[in-house]
Amino acid sequence: MSAKISVEPFGESFECADGETILDAALRNGFFLKYGCRHGGCGTCKVVMSEGDVEGEGSSFAISAGERADGVVLACSSRPATDCTIDVDSMELTEDEFRAGDQVASFEVELASLERLTHDTCALSLALQPPASIAFTDGQFVNVVVPGTDMVRSYSLANAPEDSDRIDLIVKLLPGGAFSALLESGLHVGDSLTLHGPLGELRLRLSHRKVLMVAGGSGLAPFLSMLRNLERRGRSREIDLVFGARTRADLYLVGELERLVAALPGVTFVPALSEPDDELWTGERGLVTEVIARRYTSLDGYDAYLAGPPAMIEASIPLITGLGVRPANVHFDAFVSSRR
Amino acid sequence: MAGKRSLIDVHEKSKGYDWDYPDTDPKYPSRFIIPKTGKDPFRMLVRDYVRMEEEKDARTYGFLDGALRMRVAETAEPRFMEALKLTLPDLTNAEFQAVSGVGMIARGIGNQELRQGYYAQMLDEVRHTQLEMSLRRYYVEHAPDPAGWDVAQRALYQHPGGHVSLALFQNFNTGDVIDAVINLNVVVETAYTNILLVATPETAVANGDHALATTFLSIQSDEARHMANGYGTLFAVLQDESNVPLVNEALERHFWHSHRGLDALVGWQSEYGAVHRPWAYKDQWQEWVGDDFIGSYIDKLTDFGVEAPTRLAKVAHDVSWIHHSTALALAAIWPLNFWRSDVMGPADMEWFDSHYPGWAEVYGPFWQGHAAMADPSSGRLMLQELPSLPPFCQVCQLPCIMPRPDRSEIRVFEHGGRNIAVCSEGCEWIFHRWPKAYEGRKSFWQKYHGWDLADVILDLGYVRPDGVTLMGQPSVSLERLWTIEDIRRIGFEIKDPLAS
Ligand code: FES
Ligand SMILES: [Fe+2]
Ligand SMILES: [Fe+2]
Repeated sequence: MSAKISVEPFGESFECADGETILDAALRNGFFLKYGCRHGGCGTCKVVMSEGDVEGEGSSFAISAGERADGVVLACSSRPATDCTIDVDSMELTEDEFRAGDQVASFEVELASLERLTHDTCALSLALQPPASIAFTDGQFVNVVVPGTDMVRSYSLANAPEDSDRIDLIVKLLPGGAFSALLESGLHVGDSLTLHGPLGELRLRLSHRKVLMVAGGSGLAPFLSMLRNLERRGRSREIDLVFGARTRADLYLVGELERLVAALPGVTFVPALSEPDDELWTGERGLVTEVIARRYTSLDGYDAYLAGPPAMIEASIPLITGLGVRPANVHFDAFVSSRR
Repeated sequence: MAGKRSLIDVHEKSKGYDWDYPDTDPKYPSRFIIPKTGKDPFRMLVRDYVRMEEEKDARTYGFLDGALRMRVAETAEPRFMEALKLTLPDLTNAEFQAVSGVGMIARGIGNQELRQGYYAQMLDEVRHTQLEMSLRRYYVEHAPDPAGWDVAQRALYQHPGGHVSLALFQNFNTGDVIDAVINLNVVVETAYTNILLVATPETAVANGDHALATTFLSIQSDEARHMANGYGTLFAVLQDESNVPLVNEALERHFWHSHRGLDALVGWQSEYGAVHRPWAYKDQWQEWVGDDFIGSYIDKLTDFGVEAPTRLAKVAHDVSWIHHSTALALAAIWPLNFWRSDVMGPADMEWFDSHYPGWAEVYGPFWQGHAAMADPSSGRLMLQELPSLPPFCQVCQLPCIMPRPDRSEIRVFEHGGRNIAVCSEGCEWIFHRWPKAYEGRKSFWQKYHGWDLADVILDLGYVRPDGVTLMGQPSVSLERLWTIEDIRRIGFEIKDPLAS
């Protein structure tokens, strides 16, 4: 049985087919709603249900219990059980954007280089085929289609927006991951891939506050893009970048980070090892949460940005807000791996 | 349906006509290049617009009837009502200056689509003025102490607090039209009206004034369109690169000046005009100005070359203090006010110190002294305790004790043969960059230099109908009110601190 979805504040409605998500139905009917990962992991597609009922879930990262209680649902993972009215005001879409439909583009890319950064991390550089340029903001991600499947994987761009003719990604190889398997064996320089994007709302917001960036795993990518963008634009901010890894061998692109720090006054790079196997390691030791707790007695007057494994983000948020960052000033990208 | 269609056609067609007002010698020629293309941000037929606004008016006026039955004016916290005697006329001044401001903008903007939006905004601003005047009439008739409400607008323009409002809102209608848009639509309406018109109603309700809350929320429902006017205009002028530095300079100026005026007065009303405080002003500022205006609105415009005001961090810092300093000044000059000030008791002091750590040390002793001198039997005024009166800033008109009296950033310099004071580096920059806009203003102290305080009060006309009792009082709960005689007995003489 199909359901009717009414959309406020635009006074528009459309039909949602049986089994279809609200997001898919909106896009199919030529309307645009903001989205990111499309599988309940990022929270970009939050809408308020003002009337009606839906079935669906989504990760606790993407949506908090409090929000759920306030009627917030994820449009990408909600299927209507009745006719519904949703309020999309918080997406800050103009009416024109809403009515223009999905403008998120598809790109054909060619793998231009593939470099091992650590035993389980790769840097990919993808050359855009016509259309040979992508307009994105530093902090956004793309959804890469896993060849031979209809699955997508989300990765942040690591290059500066000015380098719009290519897409640099940092990929963490997860044991058993579909894309990882491909990278290990089947993917070669010159091969073609399809991706969709750019997506996501993470960006370095203008503010009077200092910035704390916390990266773990492949989460360095969006911060690299941000720092590279600042460098290109010749402006700096007061930024502390804490980069957590297990051992010395798990740190990557340290040389590039040191170069950026030298070019950007006010930026501090803090590598932290949770299991420093190297006697000569003079940097911070411990989990990023331990390092933050040790380095800062107060984070009042900071904006915080987090990217990396969900566990790191989950542990960091209460610590950071406890030290004084306003919850509204904590921004993060948690790529919860797809459960599909 | 056919009727509607043809109306839309007419609307569209009217925007196709293009004209310039035949003003060969405009008073304020624009330095900006204003493109002919741009989108009508209102996108509404006059007929639909009028119907919608009429409905909103009906609801608000209907509420005033209800307020009468609910005895809102009688039961609201007196402290809240009293502070409103300054801030509501301040706002009405803003509306009034905005009426003439959007008139000037519509005339000078030379872009038919954008012009539509400003025509409609002018109707809105008239509506706001009328809503506020009706509310004030209700207060005149029903407030337990109407003294001050009856003369509020005239009283305002003579009072130092009114000078803050005049200095700020004159920028709506003097100067370059795009400057006016950046001040009115971009800074005041986009950055600041949410604190004023969404957060303040919460404070009003917490202090029992539902009438004010309803009126403000009704006004705020128009602001989204005014913000759209500002965005539409900004977006249009940013298409021409040569406008970018002009936009940034205007933003720098008006962001600083609006911060001084609005953070001082709105912060004062919401914390010192309240017994119950649902939030701290600095937190509202972080949310609406810091996160929404800078972190989202301006952030999106950085792609077009717009930059954050260079004094942003300084503003963010001073927001924690300037309304406390304003409160101190307004309480110190209480005999010169046309409303009753109040004593801050232990519960107030505790709230202030816990929300603004360090407050007690800086402001605590003043408020203790104020309480001790509140009764006329004390025969003393805080003014007597000051080494000298603080000069008023030639730009923003705040007393030069900012951000805090113990860390004043006052600067005094000679200009055109007289001493000029400014409260800060920001106001000093504005003064020297646009001296013509500010040099003419005479200061309150200069006008009354050498006068006895009692004569100043009589000259201002701030006495009650009996001719002897002051409108201004240091507390809302006095057994006996202060009179002109009490003041004359003290024999305090006004001395202009800048007189040479
Ligand atoms: S798009 Fe719905 S949660 Fe990411
Ligand atoms: Fe208005
Ligand atoms: Fe000033």
